[in-house]
Amino acid sequence: MSFKYTLEILTLIVIVAFCAIFLYTSSSMDSAGFSGSDNAGSELVAKLSGTPVDNFKPLIPQWQPPSTEIESCLFAFQAAIGGILVGGVFGYWMGQKKNA
Amino acid sequence: MHIMEGFLPWQWCLIWWLVALPCLFLGVYQLKKILAADRGALPLLGVTGGFIFILSSLKLPSVTGSSSHPTGTGLSTISFGPWITAVVCAIVLLFQSLFLAHGGLSTLGANIVSMGIVGPLAGYGVYRLLRNTKVNIYITVFLVTALADIFTYATTSLQLALAYPAATGGFASSFILFLGIFAVTQIPLAIVEGFVLALVFKYIIALKPDILIRLKIFSEEKINIARKDYS
Repeated sequence: MSFKYTLEILTLIVIVAFCAIFLYTSSSMDSAGFSGSDNAGSELVAKLSGTPVDNFKPLIPQWQPPSTEIESCLFAFQAAIGGILVGGVFGYWMGQKKNA
Repeated sequence: MHIMEGFLPWQWCLIWWLVALPCLFLGVYQLKKILAADRGALPLLGVTGGFIFILSSLKLPSVTGSSSHPTGTGLSTISFGPWITAVVCAIVLLFQSLFLAHGGLSTLGANIVSMGIVGPLAGYGVYRLLRNTKVNIYITVFLVTALADIFTYATTSLQLALAYPAATGGFASSFILFLGIFAVTQIPLAIVEGFVLALVFKYIIALKPDILIRLKIFSEEKINIARKDYS
């Protein structure tokens, strides 16, 4: 039995369902701020240790992106590195297959 | 799953670095060995590593009302095992701690242990269990990917709970609280990631089945079945 596009269809359904649940959550949940779980984890550490988040000082000095825009830009740069790798290799493989 | 710089006491930073370093050395050794034996593995390493770069940069909203990012370690775990995956993750996490202030150099060892070692080890266990069975390749990829993702976040919860046990209930209570933040948020993201990487694996099988057979990732018979039925 052939399942030619089964995976594509299933993946699409899952992504659409994920988006629909997100839209429902964001409209129905008052507390849904969609901040990062890393930040929520840091806040829980602060609560458990009784030390405010701002009082946690780096053990090793660390550079901070000067703004959230720069941070987003650097995240995009990271994704771009991955995209170039994946796209480059898939293109290379397709070329090899075509020439074979 | 990033534990931020300064959020782990130095003793725990040291312990997690001591756990991470031997695994990284083993990963570098295995990587050298594989690439010396077969240079054709390099593009596959590029693709699997590329997905770690892409997916770990995407902060996605989850149904719990907070956001998190997938890890993307499933493909690398299946193709190269947990130790080489640890090396790739170390590069990604170093980039994020130096340029994005996500994680930090002192907590890098702990973050490598969660994302690069324990998560992939859990996924690798599932892969080894299912590799020689009749279970469909794509179901295997889905399970490996989703479990590697969830175990990564469960490990972060464990690391933080060990360092910060609750005043009442101690470690167990703290672990449940951290799991509530990290692991529950991660479940829907892990499911989506599992489907996406299973689909990516389909295209790898379609374009380069020989490398998967040469590296003995799956048997020729299983790959041929996957190619025949799904393309």
